[in-house]
Amino acid sequence: MSEDSAHGGASVTAVRSREQALARTFVALADTLVADYDVVDLLDQLVGASVSLLGVTAAGLLLDDQKGHLALVASSSEGTRLLEIFQLQNNEGPCLDCVRTGTAVTSADLEVDRERWPVFVPEALAAGFRSVTAVPLRLRDEIIGGLNMFSDTATLLGNDDRDLAQALADVATIGILQQRSTHRTSVLAEQLQHALNSRVVIEQAKGVLAERDQVSMEVAFATLRKHARDHNLKLGDVAFAVVRRSTDPGAIPPPPQ
Amino acid sequence: MTDRDRWVSLLRDAAGDVATQPQRIAELCVQMLGVTGAGISLVSDTGHRGVICATDDVSRRIEELQVTLGEGPCIDTIRTGAPVLVSDLHDRDDVAVWRWPTFMAAAADAGVRAVFAFPLRIGAIGLGALDMYRSRTGALDDEELSAALLGAEAAAVALLGLETSPDGALGDGADAGLGYQAQVHQASGMIMVQLGVTIEQAFLLLRARAFSSGRPLNGLAADVVERRLRFSSEDL
Repeated sequence: MSEDSAHGGASVTAVRSREQALARTFVALADTLVADYDVVDLLDQLVGASVSLLGVTAAGLLLDDQKGHLALVASSSEGTRLLEIFQLQNNEGPCLDCVRTGTAVTSADLEVDRERWPVFVPEALAAGFRSVTAVPLRLRDEIIGGLNMFSDTATLLGNDDRDLAQALADVATIGILQQRSTHRTSVLAEQLQHALNSRVVIEQAKGVLAERDQVSMEVAFATLRKHARDHNLKLGDVAFAVVRRSTDPGAIPPPPQ
Repeated sequence: MTDRDRWVSLLRDAAGDVATQPQRIAELCVQMLGVTGAGISLVSDTGHRGVICATDDVSRRIEELQVTLGEGPCIDTIRTGAPVLVSDLHDRDDVAVWRWPTFMAAAADAGVRAVFAFPLRIGAIGLGALDMYRSRTGALDDEELSAALLGAEAAAVALLGLETSPDGALGDGADAGLGYQAQVHQASGMIMVQLGVTIEQAFLLLRARAFSSGRPLNGLAADVVERRLRFSSEDL
């Protein structure tokens, strides 16, 4: 076998497995959207899918809090540093630019974009990121947030990947707008408020489990998520029950040592 | 400037003075949302209930009735975490009308024709409700509803003192909204476990400590999260 065909064979396999991963992801998302889903669960699933499908290092979703600021609602990792970098973009950064302009904003190499975002870039570089892409969460004329992706290499997402990122952002928008609950209104402000408040419940629950198990916030979140998935419960419901103590916290096993 | 921006800046201007802020927010709702009156009550799951403010006698009556009876839109909105909207108190097809027979009869006697209740909450912390009424029937339109939701959020933040620094001025987090304060919420959860208290108590203890030590809430929360500071029974 020549080297060429060996290489070709490998890339065909790679393309096929990527297509399968794509199909699996969208089937799973579609399944979620037709069920009585939990918005934080869905958004958590989406940022995870962004990382695995697009090969980026980290991804986060920020939403307009309706008061002129962006607030983080889901992140592919719960590391404090990463959360800070997402949230830093309240003042300056690609995600803020993306939400303001309603278009995708990229930097293929943050090293050369230092002047573009003088506060954001040094922080992102210090955290080990080299390139960034942000795509908008768009609802007709309104921009309700952004999907923000970081890579540890100086690369730009290709056109196909950019389209895929936008498709994932669109699913997030639909997911936020379609949250159903008997008493909920169809007003955008309530959907956003509900999603953001759900995130606050998650933060409170992370604190409870981090202290109980003496672990990091990241491990506490993983514990919460594992319990929800193992028992087919909604992440938001589990988090709420932990904070309200309406469930025996002992029912949620600590992480293995 | 859009109407929403104007509303947000009005709510922001109401901030700063913790003592008068809830009353100010209720007054703004009356001025801007086409409601006759508005009031705020605290209702905790440990049973503490009290009227914080009301813009007129009917509003005060609505708050007091619910606090006394333990039923009404305010009680339901706290329980479900979703707004309760009754645009016509005499609409016999509205299930809400049947849910609180005593409250509804008394409210109708007081001249109330429509009532709307919004939960005051920060994550799993349930504080109480912002209630509004109309002396004529009619639903809130989408714009009024959105504004009311932001009003309720501002009232919750005001009541918890989330956006004020120890000297009462606006703190660092004031400009960044709730999401910015992830560590405050994480620290509250940790203190809950350290002291065996509710999330409300944990938050208030963190807040009290920030005041007494003259430190910003965010910095103190970071110390708790980084395990440089633990709360002990002496803080109770």
